[in-house]
Amino acid sequence: MGEILGNLATGFVNAVQPLNFLMIVVGLAIGIIAGALPGITMLNSIVLVLPFTYLMGIVPALLLMIGVYCGGVFGGSITGILFNIPGDPMNVPTTWEGYRMSRQGHTQYALGLAIMSSAFGGLVSALFLAFFAPPFARFALSFSTVEFFSVVVFGLASVSVLGQSSMAAALVSLFSGMFLGTIGTEAQYGVERFAFGIPFLKTGVDFVTVLIGLFAIGEVLDQIVGTSSEPAAETPRARAVPRLPLLALWPLRGPLARGTAVGIAVGGLAGAGATVSSFVSYGLEKQISRTPELFGTGHAGGLVASESSVNGSTGGAMIHLLTLGIPGSAATAVMMGAFLLHGIQPGPLLFTRQTAEVYTIVAGMILANVVMIGLGFLAALSFAMLMKVPPPILNTFIVVFCFLGAFALRNDLADVWLTMLFGVLGFFMRRYDLPIPPLVMGIILGPMAEQYFLTSMVAHANDVSVFVTRPVSAALLAISVVIVLWPVVKRLCQRSRPASAT
Amino acid sequence: MPALARVVAPLAGVIVAVALFAATRGLDDVARGEQLGPGFWPRLVLIGLGLASAAKLVENLRRAAPNDHAVARAGAAGLGGVRRGTLLLAIATIVLYVALTPWLGFPLVTVGFVAAFMMLAGARSPVAIGVAAVLGTVGLLYVFVKLVYLPLPKGDGVFETMTLALYRGLGIF
Repeated sequence: MGEILGNLATGFVNAVQPLNFLMIVVGLAIGIIAGALPGITMLNSIVLVLPFTYLMGIVPALLLMIGVYCGGVFGGSITGILFNIPGDPMNVPTTWEGYRMSRQGHTQYALGLAIMSSAFGGLVSALFLAFFAPPFARFALSFSTVEFFSVVVFGLASVSVLGQSSMAAALVSLFSGMFLGTIGTEAQYGVERFAFGIPFLKTGVDFVTVLIGLFAIGEVLDQIVGTSSEPAAETPRARAVPRLPLLALWPLRGPLARGTAVGIAVGGLAGAGATVSSFVSYGLEKQISRTPELFGTGHAGGLVASESSVNGSTGGAMIHLLTLGIPGSAATAVMMGAFLLHGIQPGPLLFTRQTAEVYTIVAGMILANVVMIGLGFLAALSFAMLMKVPPPILNTFIVVFCFLGAFALRNDLADVWLTMLFGVLGFFMRRYDLPIPPLVMGIILGPMAEQYFLTSMVAHANDVSVFVTRPVSAALLAISVVIVLWPVVKRLCQRSRPASAT
Repeated sequence: MPALARVVAPLAGVIVAVALFAATRGLDDVARGEQLGPGFWPRLVLIGLGLASAAKLVENLRRAAPNDHAVARAGAAGLGGVRRGTLLLAIATIVLYVALTPWLGFPLVTVGFVAAFMMLAGARSPVAIGVAAVLGTVGLLYVFVKLVYLPLPKGDGVFETMTLALYRGLGIF
């Protein structure tokens, strides 16, 4: 412990050197702004800064990327809360609650909660990285695609209770999303599925087009046709300036702690990442909450759990990268490239051979999450100014931004067409009570579930029992079954009660 | 939701699921040995979609039985209260925006779209509409063409020449 503290102190001394600290701040600013723009994901921004690191030393280069990473996972929640446009898929659960809170006039509270819980999750995960990286990495290595599949199923199972009015409607939405995820060229055999000769469908439906369309365009249409399905508070725009609710976090310490723990745990599994952790954390919180019926209507606990897990996953993902040399996500894969470019091989020997660099990175992560509170506040303040723009101008430019966001994905107008199509679909789904969140979860998590399932089958000679004979997988699947069946059992019990009373 | 739609929508879900299930035939021809083929997962998903749609159909039929008006009140908002003309115009404007972009180029179409959509959204001041359309488009061009290097559609023929001239005039090309 003493040795770790000493190394960490050295790391802090290095990280606060002017150039290094500047790189953290610049990286955070780039990450937050890029993350907030739909179509430009956190991964895009890390890739974009990679060439700039060639001329830098290893420490400033990695601190720049760490800054982009930490800022990028948070940035998307700003536009999600303000405009119902999640910057990244991982910010979707935050958007579900944050935008509703914003519509009810609690924009400043929602933004403040998002900033604080994101910073808290990132800070704790960085400390976890500093103190527990090697043993956790060994534990995470014992997980295989069987467990990953079960984690994703757990995330998907939670949607059965997200569709509040009808489980059947929620399942229709979920399976529709999962089906959309199967369109395009299949990864294992390279076979085209459901492309029907349409060229752009061969590369699949990018879930960002679905996200932007369903959430942003659908909302704009809902607002301009006269009767928004949800009443806005009287003066939400005037109170859009964020505030940092330090004391307000105390009653939410449960969701905060659970979200952070889920973020670290899921982030530490190679291949899972921030998106899975945010959905799993949100779903778990809904199961545990005493007011699950309020989820989706502006629940602070849901927002805090999701946001803390998103940034909590950064430390977990870094554990995998630094201790095993295995990137746990696409973002850490790019960062691994930066390590290799500078002649550093991440892996089991990194902590002993390049101690100073490693602990500077860890200290940089800790600093980045502290600085993010200030920078996130400023960014939220800037974006919140847009709330003062008259609705006709704002709604129009949201459509234009959606166009640009969709086009930026592959420089292809076909993606813009898809976005607009899903926008219209989103409008009708709202109007006809077909829940949108399950569809979004289906298209994001469905392909992951398929990949993990098929890989597990290949590895275990098509023996399905492997999912119930491995303890972690069996436990997760059992919980998932309980989650799905619980509302049905509850309804049956409620029906039998009045009958027995008469 | 109208009574007919309550039946037709989920029934369509069942039919689409069955049709797509049939379309998975042949997908597994490439499978090696005992391995699961690329058609396995979509079939699983489509079975789920078909069953869920059938469950929704049953649910809707059960709910609809006692009192249609009560169901309408308790259920979804539907298109009640929606200005359908505005909705159709808004969708048409968006469709035209995307459809015309390859021919007229992003800058020109965006100016037109912003002006038209702002009016649809309730803006009435011609000055505000004009300023927002022109300055907004120029601002977006600076950010996305100059800074992000996004190759936005420039249009065809004379419109491409116009777009390039505009880019040169703005110093972004």
